[in-house]
Amino acid sequence: MRRTYLGEFEEMVLLMVAILDGEGYGVTVSQALEEHTGRIVTFGTVHNTLIRLEEKGFVKSELGGATTERGGRRKRLFRITALGSRALQEIQQLRQDLWQLVPPNALQLSGL
Amino acid sequence: MKQFSQPLPPRFAHWLLTRLHPEETLEEVEGDLDELYTYWYHRAGQTQATLRYMLNVVSVLPPFVRQRKQANQQNEQHSRPGITMIRNYVKIAFRNLQRNKGYTLINVAGLALSMACSILIFTLVSHHLSFDNFHSNSNRIYRVVTEMHRDNIGYASSVPSPLGKHFRNDYTFAEKIARIISVDDQLITLKTEGDLKKIKEEAGVAFTEPEFFDIFNYPLLEGDKKSALLEPNTAIVTERIAKKYFGDKNAVGKSFWLNNQIPFRITGILKDLPANTDRKNEIFVSYPTLKAFDRWLADDIDGWGGVRDGVECYVLLRPDVAVAQVEDVLSAYVKKYRPTSKNVHHYKLQPLIDVHFDARYGGAMEKKNLWVLSIIGLFLLITACVNFINLATAQALKRSKEVGVRKVLGGVRGQLFWQFIAETALISFFGIAVALLLTYLTLPVVNDFFSTQIVINPFQNDRLALFVAGLAVVITFLAGSYPGLILAGFQPVVALKGKLSQQNIGGFNTRRTLIVVQFAISQVLVIGMLVIMSQMQYTKQASLGFDKDAIVMVPMGDDSTHVKMNTLKNEFLRIKGVKKVSLCYTPPASNSSWGNLVKINNEETNFRTSIKSADDQYLSTFGLELAAGKNLFPSDSVREFLVNEAFLRKLNLKPNEAIGKIIAANGGNMVAPIVGVVKDFHDASFHQEISPILFASYRNDYSEYAIKLNMAQAKTTLAAIEKAWLEQHPDQLFEYQFLDESIARFYATEERILKLVEFFSLIAIFIGCLGLYGLVSFMAAQKTKEIGIRKVLGSSLTQILWIFGKEFSRLVIIAFLLAAPVAWWTMNQWLQGFQFHIEIGLGVFVIAISGTLLVAAMTVAYQAIKAAMLNPIRSLRAE
Repeated sequence: MRRTYLGEFEEMVLLMVAILDGEGYGVTVSQALEEHTGRIVTFGTVHNTLIRLEEKGFVKSELGGATTERGGRRKRLFRITALGSRALQEIQQLRQDLWQLVPPNALQLSGL
Repeated sequence: MKQFSQPLPPRFAHWLLTRLHPEETLEEVEGDLDELYTYWYHRAGQTQATLRYMLNVVSVLPPFVRQRKQANQQNEQHSRPGITMIRNYVKIAFRNLQRNKGYTLINVAGLALSMACSILIFTLVSHHLSFDNFHSNSNRIYRVVTEMHRDNIGYASSVPSPLGKHFRNDYTFAEKIARIISVDDQLITLKTEGDLKKIKEEAGVAFTEPEFFDIFNYPLLEGDKKSALLEPNTAIVTERIAKKYFGDKNAVGKSFWLNNQIPFRITGILKDLPANTDRKNEIFVSYPTLKAFDRWLADDIDGWGGVRDGVECYVLLRPDVAVAQVEDVLSAYVKKYRPTSKNVHHYKLQPLIDVHFDARYGGAMEKKNLWVLSIIGLFLLITACVNFINLATAQALKRSKEVGVRKVLGGVRGQLFWQFIAETALISFFGIAVALLLTYLTLPVVNDFFSTQIVINPFQNDRLALFVAGLAVVITFLAGSYPGLILAGFQPVVALKGKLSQQNIGGFNTRRTLIVVQFAISQVLVIGMLVIMSQMQYTKQASLGFDKDAIVMVPMGDDSTHVKMNTLKNEFLRIKGVKKVSLCYTPPASNSSWGNLVKINNEETNFRTSIKSADDQYLSTFGLELAAGKNLFPSDSVREFLVNEAFLRKLNLKPNEAIGKIIAANGGNMVAPIVGVVKDFHDASFHQEISPILFASYRNDYSEYAIKLNMAQAKTTLAAIEKAWLEQHPDQLFEYQFLDESIARFYATEERILKLVEFFSLIAIFIGCLGLYGLVSFMAAQKTKEIGIRKVLGSSLTQILWIFGKEFSRLVIIAFLLAAPVAWWTMNQWLQGFQFHIEIGLGVFVIAISGTLLVAAMTVAYQAIKAAMLNPIRSLRAE
C-alpha cells in the first residue's frame, strides 16, 4: 500500500472541509479552525493548504455563488473526495491501533 | 445595492492584492478576505481588522502564495522533461558541441582549470581546518605559552619546564596536565647482532609525561598508555618507526640508544600519527629520563630561568574552569620565581584549535592565508562561469536562427531552456572529468610544495565528493540558466529575420565590466609577482656584510671534546682545498641564536643580545670587518669580547668609547672587556633588524666548524673532510651544509608565496583572455556587415583591426588604472614586513601593462584578423 502522505496541518484543514460538508471555503475553514482548535493562522496558510490538498486529490473544488457580502465575488467551495476521506480514515485507524499498543501505565504521571 | 454598514478594507492593501496576487485565484481570495474583514471588524474593531487584513494580504502575495495550476496543463508537461526527452537533449547537445569544437574546447578548458584549482584549494583548506580536531574534548585542551615583555613583546610556544609540575601540584583547575619536551635532530643508534646502525631523526624525540596520551587521542596499538612511559629509559614509537628500525619483527622489548648514551626500551607501539596533526616527532620517551639528557631542563626547582624551544605544557581544563582564572593564578608564578628578571613573562593559555593557525607561536598556517586562498578559488570559479555565460551569449547570435526555427515548429520555452541546460551539463561534466584528472596529476606537486600528505579520493572522502557534485550542479545552473533563458526567450519572428541586436542578448556593458574586473585582478597579481620577484632578487644579491660563498658548515660530533675539536681543526687545515677553518657556535647569519640580557659596566640592559662563540679565525673566515679595536686573541675561554655596531647603537656609544668597557654575560659566567667593534652585517633575514651581537671565544659553546673551501676541488675536499671527521667520531653521522644554501632557506616562505602568485596570475590571465576571446568573437559576429561595408568603401586591414584593438586596449587600460593603486598599496604593505627592502619602481607597472596588452592582443588577433580578412562579398550578400 502506498503510504498516504498528509501533514498535520493538512489533516486539520481536511477535517474542517469534511465537517463543513460542502460549505467549506477559505473563510469558513479559517473560522472553523479558530473555533475548534484555537489556532489563528494567516489566510495565506489556509489558502495554500487548500490548493495543495486539491493537487494531492484529497479535495475537489468548484466556484460557488456570489453574495453581496463579498462585493459580488464568487467563492470557491471545497468538498472532500473519496481519496481524502479514505486518507482521514486511515489516519484515524492507525492512531487507534497505536493507542492499543500503549501499555496502560505508560501515560500516567509518575513520580513527579 | 450599496450597504452603508459594509466596512471597507484598507485601500492600499487591497490595491496590492489586486496587483500582485495570481490571477487564477484573485476573485475568490479577494472575496474571502473581504468577508473576513467584515467578520474581524465586527468582532474586534476597525484597527484590529485593518491590521489583520494587511497581514493576511501579505500572506497571499508571492512568494508566499501557492499558484493554482491552470486548467490547461500542457505547458507544464512540456517543460518537465521525461527520460526520452533528456536523452534527446543530450544527443542534440552533443552534436552542437561537436559542431563548435573551438567553443567547446575553450569552455571545457576554462572550467576544468578553475575547477581543478578550486578542488585543490578546497582540499588544502579543509585539510588545514581539520588540524588536531580529532581529539575528544579538543575544546578544553590548552597549551600554556609565554609572552615575553622586554623593550618589545616576544612570543614563545614554550614555558619554563617546572611550570607544569607546579601547576599540577598547586591547583585543581586542570583534569590532566602533560609536559612534553621535544628535541629535534637527534642521533639514534641500533645495536643489533653486532651490527651498528646510525639514524638521524630530524623530528627527534619527545620526553613525555604519560598524561599526554590521556589528553590527546593518539591511540596505542600495543602497551598500556598509563604505565608505558612511567619508568626511566622507556619509549613508545609509532608503527612506522618500529617498522623502520626493526622491520617486521615485534618491536616491543627492543632497545635503541639516543646520542650513543641513553638506552631506551620500547614499551608501546603508537598508531601512526595522522597527517592533520602538528605533532611531528614519532618517538616518545619517558619524562624521568630527561635528567640523563639535560640536567637544566629536568630541574623542577631552579629551572625558571628562561624558556627553551620545544618545552611544551598541555592542560585539559575542567569543564567549568575559565581561561582567565588560570592565567590569573599563573601570573603568581612570575612574581614568585622570576621576581627580578627584566624579561617579564606572562603565561597564557592557547586553545588547541589556535595552535595550527597562530603564527606568533609558530603556527604553521595563518587563517588569513586560508581566507585568501578560498577567495582566489571562488574568484576563479566565478570568472569561469562568467566566461561561460559570455561565450554562450556570444554564440546566441549564431544560434538565433536555430532557436527561431525550433519555436516556429512548436518548441516551447521550457524545452529550449532544458536543451541549453543539457549542453551546459555536458560541458561541465567534461570539465569535471578533466579537472579531476588535473588535480590528480598536480597533487604530488602541491603536496611537495606545502609539505603536506593530502590524498584526494572523492570515493572515500564524502565531503570532497559532495563538494565536487555540488560544484557540478551549481556551475551547470549558474552558467547554463542565463544563456538558456535569453536564448529560449527569443521572439521567433525577430530571431528568424536575423535582426537581433546586442540589446536582445544581455547587457553588453555588464560583460565589459566583468572583463575589466577580470583583468584588474590579473594585473594586481602580475604586479605583485614582479615586486616579490625583485625583492627576492635583492635579498639574494645584496651584500650581507659577510662572505657566504664557498663556506661549508660541519657540525661537531656529539662526543666532541676540546682535544678532538682542535685535532680535527688541524687535520682539516692539512687538507688541500681547505683555506680556513673556524670553530664557532653559528655562522654570522643563522636561524638559531643564543640570547642573553647582558650587563655592561654592571648595569643591566633591557634588550636581548645574541652571543656568538667564535675563535680568532672567525672574522677572517667569514670576511667580517672591524670598525674599531682589534680581533680576539687565540683563547679557549672568555677573555675578550667583540661587539657589533648595532650593540653600540642600542647603548648610544661611539666605537672608541666602547672599547675597554666590561661586559658580563650568561648570568655572570662570562666577564671580559670589549676589545673591538665589528662592522654591521645581516645576522638574520631581511625581515629583521640587525641584532646586537657579542663575540667571544668560548670552547664550551662551539658546535660547528666553518670551513672555507677552494670551490675548484670542492668534491674531493668534502670527501677528505668526511674521512677526517669519521676518524674522530666513528659512531656518529657526518653532515654538512653550505652556508649560502641555508641562508636561502630564510626566504622559503617568500619563495612559496612567489610561486603561488606566479601560478595564480597565470591562471587569472588565462581566464581573463578567455573572456576577452569571447567578447571579441561576439564583436566579430556582430560587426561582420559593418566591416564588409568599410572594406568596400576602401578601409585598410590595419584600420579594421583597430576597431577591435581600440575596444580591448581601452578595457585593459581601464583595468590597469584600477589595478595599479590597489597593487601598489598591497605590495607596499608586504614590503613593510622587511626591514630591508626595495622601492617599487615605475618599471614594474610598465612591464605589467605592456605584458598584459601583448597577451590580450595575441588573444584577439586571430578573431580580429579573421573578421578583417573576410571577403566583403560574402558578408554583404545576405542582405
